Amino acid sequence: MSNDDMTIKPLSKLHEILLNGEFAVTGECGPPRGANREVIAKKAGLLKGFIDAVNVTDNQTAIVRMSSIAGAVHLIEAGLEPVMQMVVRDRNRIALQSDILGAYSMGIRNILCLSGDHQSFGSQPDALNVFDIDSLNLVRTVKDMRETGKDMSGFELDIAPAMFIGAAANPFADPFEYRVLRLAKKIDAGVDFIQTQCIYNMARFKQWIKMAREEGLTEKVYILGGVTPLKSAGMARYMNNKVAGMDIPDEIIKRMGSVPKEDAIEEGMKICLETIAELKELDGVSGVHIMAIEWEEKVGEIVKRAGLKK
Amino acid sequence: MKTNNKPKITLFYCINAFMESAPVFEGCSIKTIKMACSSMTKDIFLLKAFEAGADAVLVFACPEKQCRYVEGGIRARKRIEWTKHLLDETGIDGRRLAIFNTDIKDPKAAGKIIRETIELINELGPNPAA
Amino acid sequence: MIVGEQKPIKEIMESVAPYKRVLILGCGTCVKTCFAGGEDEVEVLASALRLAFKTKKQRSIEIEELTIERQCENEFIQEAAAGIGRNDVVLSLACGAGVQAMAERFPAAPVLPGVNTTFIGIQDRPGIFSERCSGCGDCGLARFGGICPVTRCSKKLLNGPCGGSQNGKCEVDPSIDCAWHLIIERLTELGQLDNLKTYIPPKNWQTSTSGGPRKLVREDQII
Repeated sequence: MSNDDMTIKPLSKLHEILLNGEFAVTGECGPPRGANREVIAKKAGLLKGFIDAVNVTDNQTAIVRMSSIAGAVHLIEAGLEPVMQMVVRDRNRIALQSDILGAYSMGIRNILCLSGDHQSFGSQPDALNVFDIDSLNLVRTVKDMRETGKDMSGFELDIAPAMFIGAAANPFADPFEYRVLRLAKKIDAGVDFIQTQCIYNMARFKQWIKMAREEGLTEKVYILGGVTPLKSAGMARYMNNKVAGMDIPDEIIKRMGSVPKEDAIEEGMKICLETIAELKELDGVSGVHIMAIEWEEKVGEIVKRAGLKK
Repeated sequence: MKTNNKPKITLFYCINAFMESAPVFEGCSIKTIKMACSSMTKDIFLLKAFEAGADAVLVFACPEKQCRYVEGGIRARKRIEWTKHLLDETGIDGRRLAIFNTDIKDPKAAGKIIRETIELINELGPNPAA
Repeated sequence: MIVGEQKPIKEIMESVAPYKRVLILGCGTCVKTCFAGGEDEVEVLASALRLAFKTKKQRSIEIEELTIERQCENEFIQEAAAGIGRNDVVLSLACGAGVQAMAERFPAAPVLPGVNTTFIGIQDRPGIFSERCSGCGDCGLARFGGICPVTRCSKKLLNGPCGGSQNGKCEVDPSIDCAWHLIIERLTELGQLDNLKTYIPPKNWQTSTSGGPRKLVREDQII
């Protein structure tokens, strides 16, 4: 990334911002449980001007929603740059590649490759899952399309998608020691940027980044730290207990509970802003990924108060 | 319906938990099977007792932690639970099968169990498969 | 072994309802070991069915009991011929392979399954069975320290754990061990953690069920 950056042609706006060394800000937009494009338009209106790109989730928590491709296209029409999320849970390699080609033809330039929440969490636990390839295989596939112009079968594509490739990393999942090795493997497979799980346990995150730095990984990939503003101590407790791979230390939960109920939202905001402030100073962190789940109106305030955008 | 007949009870008992000479079988027609340990009970023996016409089947095991073979009573209890579920599935009603920890020196307690079992049979009616 | 579980009595009763004389046919190999279809289970099921039919005040049912060594092998299947001839239906307590082998060998006799075949697995400890192999046809256990991610990772991930693994447990259910946690532990112990640095390309599922029904040919054994 470092030296060659000057000669690299940016693959997307997000890529360009990161190439320029700006602290990138990405957000998130969950498509509706229905065919109403107005929902996307409304969320786009709340996010526009505050963020560099918006992730569009792919049937998150295994609940049927409008497809991430369609959601991403609606965002483009609203003047925002999407990061199309793609999970390997529901589609085999044929469908995944076909959708990548389609997405690129519609102007989608960023992709985030994920395993996907297991369908047992969703509204249809009786569904057959696919998991034909894993998220690393998907990263490599998109990378190969970009670098060699070929699909997985080796067929030369007419116009090959050249996407900016992202993946997720969870510095808080176990086994911890292996997490950095896994990051290295994702980079080797072809990842350009990483968005992390929500950071509440800053000590552990710093330890992870330090290990990544020591391995030279932060030189090879842009890391965007994930944040989610908490609304209440109850939400913190719920997320800590129920959301897979989430780590919210006791002191954060206590802190949320220590203020009067009406001040909890402000306290959550403060924690979020403190986290962003630390991330900005942290060597190896290139941006922040704000996941304000169904709370998009809060994103503008976070960005402004954190002094993130010009 | 053989409602006029005495309730038929089949009793499987561990020789360390119960003495057959105990005068406790009043009001019922009893069949007894004595065992060296309650863990000798098996699902098939219990089902066969019902096939043979028992209205209820009882198993007497030693008091907890007094099993000469340490875990015999525990094994017996687990098998009884399993067989109760089979009886529910077949429509016999799992309540007709029960296991009790009895003390060989306390025939009164055994007598009480028998009396309660007779009451239960009167409530449930005779073995529906008999 | 092949692990299976006997079907509920109610379902079995419905399937044998049209028949008068039933042969309950056990299998003395895998399903015996997992308490689903061996000699003991045949005996218990026969007794339970007799009780159930009587209780429901339905007509009586004639049950013959037989257990053969293996229902999936022709040389053993033959032992059931006479019993099958005497009855209207075969209620097989074998795995799906056994049921089908019986149906093929005796095309005139209806063969009903009495067991749900669940997985290829092992007995962890008495009474607890768990899955170990998916029969994918391309074994990669050498690389994973003898622990199969295709079978034991809920997402069949081949390049490492997902983000949902915590305290060694799978996000799907805390009673499931995270296969990747086990793999990493085992490889650490073996000093082979470097195995995991290797990128594993997309798996070829042709050797698994995606290639259609599989067949194996051993020329030297064909007469």
